[in-house]
Amino acid sequence: MAADPNGAAVFVTTLPTVLLLALAGVTALIGRVRPGLPASFHRWLSSIALVGAGAAAVITLDGLTHTRGLGLAAYAGAVVADRMGVFAVLLLCATGLVAVLTSGAASHRLGPRLPAFHALVLTATAGGTVIAVQWEMGMLVVGLGLLVISLVGLVALEKTAEAPGEVALRALAGGGVALALLLYGLAILYGATGSTDLAATAGLLVHAGPLEGLGLALTVLGLAYLVGAPPLHRWVLQVASASNGAVAGAVVSLAAAAGGIALVRVMVSGFSTSLRPWVVLAAVLGVAACLYPALLSLAAGGLRRLIGLGACLQGGLLLTALIAGGVGGDYKPAGGVTALLFALVIFVLSVQASFQAVARLDIDGIGTAFADVRGLSRRSPTTAVLLCLGLAGLAGLPPLAGFVARILIAESAVAAGYAWVGAASVVASVIYAIPAVRWMAAVLVEDDEQPAVVPEMPRLPALVGAACGVFGVAATVVAGPLLYAANQAATALR
Amino acid sequence: MSFLAQTTTTASGVTFPTLVFTALVWSALVFALVVLFLPEQTREQRARIKSLGTSGASVALFFAIWALESQIADVAVGTGGRPGGDLVEQHNWLVSFPITSTYHLDADGLGLALVTMVAVVFFCTALAAWRNDRHVKLLTVSLLTLETAALGVLVSYDWVLFLIFWTLPVVPVYLVIRAFGHGHRVRAGERYAAVILVSTALLTLAAALIAFQSGVHSFDMGGTTGLPPVSLKGSGDQVAFWLITGASLLVMAVVPLHGALLDLEEDSTGVLSVVFAAILPSLGAYALIHVAVGFFPTVGSHYSLLFAGLAVVTVVWAGLAALRADDLRRLIGHVGTVMMGVVLLGVAGHTTVSVTGIMFLLLARGLVVAVLMLLTSGIQERTRRVRISQLGGLAWQAPYLAAFWLAAALTAAGLPLLAGFSGDFLIFTGSFPAHRWATTVVLAGTLLTGGVLLRAAQRIFLGNSRDVFVRVRDVGPLEVTFLGVLLAVIVIVGVVPGHLAGLFQNGASYILFPGTS
Repeated sequence: MAADPNGAAVFVTTLPTVLLLALAGVTALIGRVRPGLPASFHRWLSSIALVGAGAAAVITLDGLTHTRGLGLAAYAGAVVADRMGVFAVLLLCATGLVAVLTSGAASHRLGPRLPAFHALVLTATAGGTVIAVQWEMGMLVVGLGLLVISLVGLVALEKTAEAPGEVALRALAGGGVALALLLYGLAILYGATGSTDLAATAGLLVHAGPLEGLGLALTVLGLAYLVGAPPLHRWVLQVASASNGAVAGAVVSLAAAAGGIALVRVMVSGFSTSLRPWVVLAAVLGVAACLYPALLSLAAGGLRRLIGLGACLQGGLLLTALIAGGVGGDYKPAGGVTALLFALVIFVLSVQASFQAVARLDIDGIGTAFADVRGLSRRSPTTAVLLCLGLAGLAGLPPLAGFVARILIAESAVAAGYAWVGAASVVASVIYAIPAVRWMAAVLVEDDEQPAVVPEMPRLPALVGAACGVFGVAATVVAGPLLYAANQAATALR
Repeated sequence: MSFLAQTTTTASGVTFPTLVFTALVWSALVFALVVLFLPEQTREQRARIKSLGTSGASVALFFAIWALESQIADVAVGTGGRPGGDLVEQHNWLVSFPITSTYHLDADGLGLALVTMVAVVFFCTALAAWRNDRHVKLLTVSLLTLETAALGVLVSYDWVLFLIFWTLPVVPVYLVIRAFGHGHRVRAGERYAAVILVSTALLTLAAALIAFQSGVHSFDMGGTTGLPPVSLKGSGDQVAFWLITGASLLVMAVVPLHGALLDLEEDSTGVLSVVFAAILPSLGAYALIHVAVGFFPTVGSHYSLLFAGLAVVTVVWAGLAALRADDLRRLIGHVGTVMMGVVLLGVAGHTTVSVTGIMFLLLARGLVVAVLMLLTSGIQERTRRVRISQLGGLAWQAPYLAAFWLAAALTAAGLPLLAGFSGDFLIFTGSFPAHRWATTVVLAGTLLTGGVLLRAAQRIFLGNSRDVFVRVRDVGPLEVTFLGVLLAVIVIVGVVPGHLAGLFQNGASYILFPGTS
């Protein structure tokens, strides 16, 4: 990394995080001091923060041209601004922006706590940005802690029903376990190497023994929590089942985006795929994370559970791509990180589109059981189309870009010598597609004699939700530029 | 490669990018997207949707004929029927990945034969769909999407594109069987969706293996990469070949993998059965010949005996099943399976003659099965019956209906001067030297199938007139139009097969001897 004697790197690497945290504080404060302000004020304030953080990340790109694309390091290399960081910050800000713009769908459940919702989205995004630029164990834990606590807070905000509060406690417990696993893992690795620098640790772990292997395993398990991979996947299903669609969408998509970035940053960029213990564990975990939710989805009786399982499946696919983050059998890049980043964008938007459809069902008073959504296309055509786009995106059905993402993931796994993991990811996608198609048929085809529903969803969340769904299709056409951006980010890690 | 790299120059010297295959594939989907936003409450609105459906199919047919005739014209210079001709389109798509992918459309003789069949059948299906007044938008959008999927599979020369088009039918097939099917429609729809998805999984793994192990680091299926033939390390050839073959045989619905398609055909109604029986299995046959055999000709010839055995089992089993079938759709399903058995024999023959025959037969098979399924729908519409044992004496009221059936039955039996003859004759001639016993048995099975269809014709149309059918009407102008179009193509291909022979021969030699000019 390029040295930075002028402090510009400090400014560049921390600007998005500082901006987000500052405006999160302002939003929370104004919400407390002036509770009568309209919800739109907080929404636009948060949006400005997220757009500003994204713009700050883009400006970083200009700075990177002077470092031949290597990146700017600050705080003795603890944080780094590189193309990967820019990509990650942009993705996180976009995810946060979708969450903020669709918050109107949850206003009836959140009530006066809407400013707190926005503030927590900003702090969760800020946590993600810390993870995106960190290069050191301490910063990683800080970022993860900020993210997990904010996400748990988001779930707990819904006080109009008992379930979300209980789920928040469970998610907090799960997040606590995940953070503990991560901390133990990092502590072991620190003990073994004497360094908290992730890149330096990788060099010292070339001949990893059983203890170091345990450290790596605990780290992987801790990070896998965020992307909803078993065994710490239950929180995704619980949030999906208990929370309002808009809240669930915000929580699950922000966690997945930050989780995917964290996995790349820590495991590929930090430890590198040459350390076999974690790669083998991630491979096994990836297979389990693909097949387990896919098999459960065959018996899913509710839409929320089906979407939750779909989100867990995406976590498995990300792990599959992660193990292909190094070179392939022919000593050329296997493309795992490129596939992961490309897939991450698609998955986040598919999850958002699906949960936005659930939010519309919530507002319109339509249930989410199989019988409730039968003939939905007659009662509420726009909700039906959005739901089908979301489900098709999660299932990776063509012509949606999720299909292309799956092919790239399978290809990178085969290229990296993990054909069996690639095969499991393909099989899991096939299995999940069957219930997804079944639900889509029930929504689109079945006759229904109930009267048409007048949509009550506010216009802005409706538009943003629809944009997420449409992007799934459009991304296939513009897959080239998106893949280029993902590849540029991945190249920064080599 | 720049967008304007492939251009055609007109006589006046004006250059245009070649977009024939793009127009061919996407025109139907564009019309489908327009239909998606139209209301369907009133009769006029439904008629508008049907008009757009027919227009979409017509535009695709126009470009199919353009592509076919353009390639026939190039036969004289040796490029017609081989990929890389004037109509090739290749543009960058996913190039920022270690394994690159391009928007690559092209077609060989086999692809063009099936493109023609698919475009003609969908055009006639769109016409036949005018009689339907339920879920008009769903049916039109699904049919046009299925047409794009089928045509896309046939002209895709990139694995990612190919897989997208291959999997695209899952949702429309499932939706329309749920909306229009009867009996165990849900189970039939789910079984067939599973078939498509499993075949996609197998093809995806094969694509990943080929793209990586072939050393070209590209998803391209021919052209710039110098593929085919493909040579993989170790047992990679065998694994990839059997992955593709397994996927193809699943979709071709040959014995013992025919249950899902037969159920789908039996539980479907109207124009859907045409698409299911005529189009979808042909895509499986295309994948088997174009991809499995075309990419791995040596491995394909190595397992020639296995294909011959599979052909015999398929023809005998399906032929005997046809003999005792009472449901008309199931009977036609078995007839289609028998014809797929003959295709397998052609694969086993592994000669230019037999593969040329496959192209003729697949073209004829699609047309014949479409005619028979449309006639079955016509019979069911008029009599409310689909069981042969419950029918009889219909020729008194519907003589033209009987004549169409007879013509289709004779085509299936391989009668000279009809499309089926060229295919059967070339396959049997090309396969006989290598597989004498298998060819004899399959030939007997084909004749048996023709006999079964004629016997069915006798039971349905001949005999005394029945009071219950006294008000049955003969084919109307609309039916004469779409049945006439299909039959006209059958007769034209049967009478002047030489018009297509050069194209198909070039295509066959490209498949069996890739890399040679």
